[in-house]
This record gives sequence, structure tokens and C-alpha cells, in this order.
Amino acid sequence: MRIRFRNGRVYDPANGREDATADIHVLDGRVVEAPGPGERIDEEHDLGGRIVMPGAIDIHSHIAGGKMNLARMLMSEEHHATIVPAEGACLCGSGIVTPSTHVTGCRYAEMGYTAAFEPAMLGSNARHAHLEMADIPIIDTGGYLVLGSDDLLLDLLARGERPETIRDYVGWMLTATQSMAIKTVNPGGINAFKYNARRLDLDEAGPRYGLTPRAILTALARAVHDLGLPHPLHVHGCNLGVPGNVATTLDTIGAAAGLPLHLTHVQFHSYDTEGDRRFSSGAARIAEAVNRTPTLSVDVGQIVFGQTVTASADTMTQRGTAPLAHPRKWAAMDIECDAGCGVVPFRYRDKSFVNALQWAIGLELFLLIEDPWRVFLTTDHPNGGPFTSYPELIRLLMDRDYRLARLAEIHPEASAHTTLGSIAREYTLAEIAIMTRAAPARSLGLRDRGHLGPGAAADVVVYDDLPDRRAMFERPRMVFKDGVLVARDGRTVTVTKGSTHVVRPGFDDAIGRVVARHFEERIGIKAKHFAISDDEIRGGDGPVRHGARGQG
Amino acid sequence: MALHEDVTCPLCGLGCDDLAIEADGATTSPVRTACALADGFFRRGAPAVGPRVAGKAATLDEAMDAAAERLGRSRSALIGGLAADVDGIRAALSLAERIGATVDHGGSAALFRNLAVLQRTGWSVTTFAELRNRCDLLVVVGPDPTPRHPRFFERWVAPPLALLPEGARRRVVFLGGAPSAEARQQLAGVDVSEVPLAGGDLPDAIAAIRAALRGHGAEGPAAALATELREARYGVIAWSAGQLDTLGADLAIEAVMRLVREVDLITRCSGLPLGGMANAMGANQVCVWRTGFPLRTSFAGGTLRHDAGALSWEHHIAECDAALWISALGAGPPDQNPDGPLILLCGTGEEPPTEPDVLIPVGTPGIDHPGHVFRGDAVVALRVGALVSRGLPSVETVLQGIEARIASVPAAGGAAS
Ligand code: SF4
Repeated sequence: MRIRFRNGRVYDPANGREDATADIHVLDGRVVEAPGPGERIDEEHDLGGRIVMPGAIDIHSHIAGGKMNLARMLMSEEHHATIVPAEGACLCGSGIVTPSTHVTGCRYAEMGYTAAFEPAMLGSNARHAHLEMADIPIIDTGGYLVLGSDDLLLDLLARGERPETIRDYVGWMLTATQSMAIKTVNPGGINAFKYNARRLDLDEAGPRYGLTPRAILTALARAVHDLGLPHPLHVHGCNLGVPGNVATTLDTIGAAAGLPLHLTHVQFHSYDTEGDRRFSSGAARIAEAVNRTPTLSVDVGQIVFGQTVTASADTMTQRGTAPLAHPRKWAAMDIECDAGCGVVPFRYRDKSFVNALQWAIGLELFLLIEDPWRVFLTTDHPNGGPFTSYPELIRLLMDRDYRLARLAEIHPEASAHTTLGSIAREYTLAEIAIMTRAAPARSLGLRDRGHLGPGAAADVVVYDDLPDRRAMFERPRMVFKDGVLVARDGRTVTVTKGSTHVVRPGFDDAIGRVVARHFEERIGIKAKHFAISDDEIRGGDGPVRHGARGQG
Repeated sequence: MALHEDVTCPLCGLGCDDLAIEADGATTSPVRTACALADGFFRRGAPAVGPRVAGKAATLDEAMDAAAERLGRSRSALIGGLAADVDGIRAALSLAERIGATVDHGGSAALFRNLAVLQRTGWSVTTFAELRNRCDLLVVVGPDPTPRHPRFFERWVAPPLALLPEGARRRVVFLGGAPSAEARQQLAGVDVSEVPLAGGDLPDAIAAIRAALRGHGAEGPAAALATELREARYGVIAWSAGQLDTLGADLAIEAVMRLVREVDLITRCSGLPLGGMANAMGANQVCVWRTGFPLRTSFAGGTLRHDAGALSWEHHIAECDAALWISALGAGPPDQNPDGPLILLCGTGEEPPTEPDVLIPVGTPGIDHPGHVFRGDAVVALRVGALVSRGLPSVETVLQGIEARIASVPAAGGAAS
């Protein structure tokens, strides 16, 4: 099957193309060089100067796993109010902030997204997450394994095991859980909470193991680096949401000591304590640190006004914010000597000083961080708001007048406490293409996604160049996934199967004996049963494997 | 003859994965299970019955044709039982969406007692490995769970408290229930005591503990238990919702959750619901991720309706115009019959007590084919394997066959296409 897209204005930053008028050729789901004359074209689309980008990739979105199901059950009112009947190609479902699997795949595809990664897969819940991801249609998926509060890792570190042992343990766990990257969530904090610690600072020794979050974080960052994983350690730091945590975040950046790091939902970690209310923006300080640290990337975790539900492995923090739950109910779990989960519904209000300032802090971060290759568009779905708000966010970034109009509507003191009004920057289409396509693909090591050069998967999105960027990004004219037209004018037209991506680094298998003993003696499941085999992924299709850096 | 070691058991939700089962031709027999339920479950022979339509022997294709014909013209079918692996449940949900049916698990009553509390106030719970390694005070509320979860104490309570400081000891308190002889045997060496109900019911007893925690009503066993909870490092309060008295079960569970949360402000304390027989937990999980709603959800009219009361199988079976009942994990046929035709997918290979309209023997996950089931704590999904080949189709295969047959004829109307 040969497809030609003619007369597109191509934004393909990975291949140095910005508003380049070019044809794109596709053969059997892959982008190829232009064929010789006389080659039959099966399908031709004259784009008449419309904009063409690769499919977008969401680097951090909670789409599957136990905490999402818990959130769906807790948010029963929302689900009753947001039932989606079956229509056209789409099956029925429900939910906006915690959509059901079919709705998740369709809504992403309808916005031009062709991949989304679940950033908090617990080892003990990984099989569930994969079973659930298999039911998310169209888009590609993958999961980041949460480590850093698991008793075996802490035990190994406390015993002073060598970095090679830690590396092998991380490699074993990553492989056994079919993961794409390693994440740490409040390192040591989730474990400390099980010993009744309600707070743990970066340099505070935790209970039982006597380890500081700094020590755990650096050990994991090094293991990720030594394994050659494409994506750096994905860090949800200490003290999320706590005024003054900007200092912790800057210290965390310092702790990496030159190792690559990705700080996630950095908006929630950029709070200072100035002003009468002891709550102010630390965005400028964080942005400055990001700008001068080339080994660092961040995603923002922008908040969006309205009802949502926060779901996180960070039980320590979630237990602390539970009294603010709206509606007033929440769920918490300690999980399998591994991690935990906390689910707290929340409504962000533009007339609340704190929420309004959070909104402004997120936008300040986007606009003050200079390099679009190192800042990603996220709402930490659903924690800051649903992923369906990305088009609105893109408009806020690209359209200063619109941004000022919105700024005028929020809590007046909050708008007085932010520099947002004085920031003139408007993102360009090329920068949006970097931030939502080329950069996430590069960061995750997805060599054939996020670009439109020969060999790339034919994830092709065609947009009308509308002045209202929200409308433009909400309803792309056409979305192709692996060469198949899946959405047209913001409606799903074909429901295809997605793939799940994993990384397979090399490591010394001998660690398997240590892991097996731990599972036998403590966890009550045999390690060989804990490990997920390839034929369990995507209903037997198996994963798409990626090598470590330097591997094939 | 083959001896399978380290076999995983899909039955009661405890997830034991250390069984030894012998397979010989079409026969499996337990060699080492340490469990009476598993002993029965893994004792299988060649199936005694084949597919039947209206009591007459049929081929699998004929039986699937007959099932498709009956379900295809239904307008308010029930797809119940759902004692199947994850792939079987997925296929059941797809078929339900195709014909506009209502889905429920045969053992969901216990699940919904817990869900009602989760949805009203929330949920603070833990999982089996945390209990095993960290819990120095376990309070079992209500009846001893051992009859339904035979190895609970052996696997999750008797092992050493590995993650507490040396010298920490575990205590087990039965509140309003008494340990069976088996439970006592499994708990040999553990400090076990009983707090009987002082005249009232479980919610009263828990209310007394909560009052004592706040400094009211200072004497007696309630006060002593309040002190123990306060002084424990990591308390766990467990209950088996299916074994609680139907009336007031909700109230008891809600009271437990409130108590857990009050203690958890002082020291650590979590709840632990026990349940999940025949993959009830997996059926619910798949239904939640596929629809956004728990079980007891209808697909009628191409949309979703969830009603934990009116759409329970016990209610709906009297109103439905056809019922498909799935019992691959051996939970058996429903104890009520629908007015309309009953199509039974049965995993035991034995004669059902009454003749359904269509009978299709199916394989059992963990015996005939691999599959996934959820553990009772809802976090861990287990993969079970295949031990023998008895030529039985999986639930997924049969349901996909039925759905394909319905898809190939024009819909009767009303349902999603
Ligand atoms: S206790 Fe439950 S899971 Fe364990 S062997 Fe018995 S029935 Fe199976």
C-alpha cells in the first residue's frame, strides 16, 4: 500500500524541516523515499498547503494500572455524567479525567497523538497495567517502572552493595516488568511512610535502612545510566506541592552530579515561600537551572481549572493532601513491599489564590525554559487536568493575547504575584512540533517515531493552519497511525491495535538469584511467576523492543 | 505422566504458586496443595459431557450456532457468572456490547459491599506482602476466613515479620469470630486471641473501639484493642465481605474503614478485604477499565448503564430474555433460572444439575490453558499455566465464535453494532 501526501507544509524538527513544502511517501505503514517514476500510488492526499507533523507523543500520562481503576471507581459520579455511547467506529465508554481504555485511545488519536506512556507502573501491578494497555486502541503505549521505595533495593543499598549489583537489579526488574524506563517517586518516602514517617527531606535519613532520598536517587540515576537506558531516570521528587520545595528541586538537580535526569511535573515542585501567603512562584529559579543544565529535561504538569482526580504512587504526599479532597473521599494503598498508591479527587479553581498561581507557575516554566527539546507538554494527566486540555494549553503558549485575557480572569492577587504578564514569548509551530514530537521520541529512544524521515512509522498528522491554535490542535484534519487513517476532523474513523514499547538492556543475570530469594522469602510469589513474558503483551503480539544506548 | 511443580492456583484469590499437580493424559491430580479447595479443583478427568443443545448431543459448532441464535435475538440478556480468565472476560464484555447485555460476576455480592464503602467514603487498604512482612497486629473482623481462603494464615500471617525490627512479634485478634482448628494450626507460635461481641453486632463493637480510641468508655476489651491498635507499628484490619452477615455488612465495613483512618492518623493502620473467588476481582477490574464502571453494567441501546442494585445478576436473571452463564473456574450454574433460554459454559466437565438450553463444556484456566486472574487484593495479576490438553475450548474461543456468528447476521435491533 503506497500513499503520497502532496503539498504539505512539513514540520519535522528531527530532520531539520520547518515549514518545508514537501511530499511524504508511505509504503506499508512506513515513511519511504520518493519512488521512481511509474510506481503506482494507491492513495493520494493533496494537502493544499496544510500543515504536516509526525504523530505526537505523550511522555507522561497516567492511562493504565491499578490506581487508575481505583480512581475510576472512586469518581463514580463523574463516570455517570460522562457516558460515551457507541458511535461510528467507537465503542462505548465513560470518563474525561479517568477515561475508560477505548475512550483513552480514541481521544488521543483524535488530537493527533499516536503514543502515550504510563509513567508510574508498580512492579507488583505491572501485569495488570499491561493487560489494561492491551485494551487501549490505536495509540502505542509503554510503562515506566517505579523503583526507590522497594524494600529489596533499599536493602541492597543499605548493605553497601556495589553499583554493578544495583544496575543488575534495576535491569532485572525493568526486563521482568516489560518497562520502557525507570521512574522514582518520592525516593524512600513511600517506604518511610510505611514506618509512619509523614515527611522525608532530600538529605534526611529514612527509617530502617538509614538511606537519604539523595542516596537512593543518585544510585538509581547511575544504574539507569550504566544500563544505557535511553530515557534518563524519571524523577518525581520529594516534597511535592509543599511551599518552599523549589529549594528541594534545585538540590535534586544538584544531586544528579552530571548524570542525566528527567524531572517530571516540575510545576508541582517549583513553589517558593515569599509574600503574605507564604506561597509564591519559584519558576524563574527552576527555569534558570534547567537552562544551564544540558543533561536535564523536564515536563511541566500544567494544571487546568476544573474537577480532576490526582493519582500517584506518592502515598506520603497524597495522605497529606487527603483533607483537601473534593469531593470529600479518597483512597490509599500500601503495596507489596514495593510502593503504594494514593487517589485524591481535586478541583482546581481559578478564583483560588493557590490554584491560580499554580496555573501561572506552569506557564512561566514553559515560557522561561529556553530549549523546547528539554521541556515537554504534560498535565501529568489526570493530576493537573485531563490530557484533552493539551490544545488549550498549546493556545496559551502560542498566543500571548489569549494568555493575557485568561490571566485577567484568575484570582487578582495571583496575577499580581506572577511575571506571566510580562513574558512576551509565543511558541512557534516548530517549537510545538519539537516539544510534542521530536523531543519525546528522542528522550525515549524511539528511533522510528516522532519524525517523518525514511524508515519512520507513518504516524502522520495533517492540520489546518487556523489562527485559533486550540481549534487547530483539537481537530486535526487527518491522523494516520502506521499508515492507516484513524481519525478525520477530530473523529475516530478506524480503530486499530497499538503496540507496547519496552527497552531491553544487557545486565548480569546472576542477580536473579538474589531477586528469587527475596520473592520466595518475603513477597510470596516466585520471581519466575512475577516476570512477565513477551507473549503476555498486547494480547500475544509481544512488545516492540528497543536496545540500550549503543546497542542495535 | 508429568509432575508439574510450582503451579499457580487461580481459585480463591490468595495466589498460591507452590502447588504440585500430576498430569496423566486427560487427568490431573493434586500431589501437594496444602489446601482442600485446591485439591478438589485440580482433580479433573476426561470431561463427562460434551456440548448439548436442548438436551441432545451436538458439535461445538452446532452449540455455538444455537447460542448465537438465542443471544442474537435477545434484547436484555444477562452475561453472568464470569468465572473466567481475563481473556474470557474481555470476550464476554465484547459480546455484551454487541448484544446490549448486562454483565455481572456470580460472586459479586461481596465485592459490592466493599465497593459501596469505597464510593461513599474512600478506601485505605494494604496487600498480602505488606501484611506478611510488616504487620504486627492483625485484627480479623467477623468469621474466620479459612473456609474460603484456606491458606490465608499459613502464607500471609505465619511467616516471620521480616521488615520490622528484630524482636517484633505479631498478634492476631479475632473480633466477633473464632479461629477454626485449621486456622489455629496454621497460626501455631503466633499470639492469637478472641474478642467476642458483647451483645451488640459488629458495627457496635467497632464503634466502641473508636470511642475508646478517642478516650471514651475506658474499660473492657474494646479499650484494650484500641490501645493495641494505637501501639502497633503497622496494624491491619481484615474482613471477608462474603462471610459477613448480609444485613449490616456495609455498615460494618464502613465502620472498619473509619476506624482504620482514625488509627492511621496516629500510627500506621490499613484495611484488608479478603475475597476474589473465581476471579471476581479480575472480572471487575476488566469491566472498570473497559467501561469506567464496575460490574452490574448494562450495554443496552449502545450505551452504558451501571446500577449496583437493579443490575445485579440476582435481580436481572428474573427479567432477562436470555442468560449466558460462564463458570470456567468451576463456580457452577446459577442457583436461579432465567425465564428465557440458559446457555451454560461450564468448566467442570461434569453433568450440570439441571439441563440448560445450550451446554458448552469449556477449558479451565490454569488446567487446560494459560490465562490471567487477579489476586484478591486487586493489585497482583497472576498468570496461570496449562497442565493438560483435554480438547476443551477456552471461554474466549467460544465467546468469540458466538460473537462472530451474531455479527454475520443483521442485528435484531436495540443493541450496538
Ligand atoms: S488457598 Fe486459595 S489460592 Fe491457595 S491453593 Fe487454596 S484455593 Fe488455591
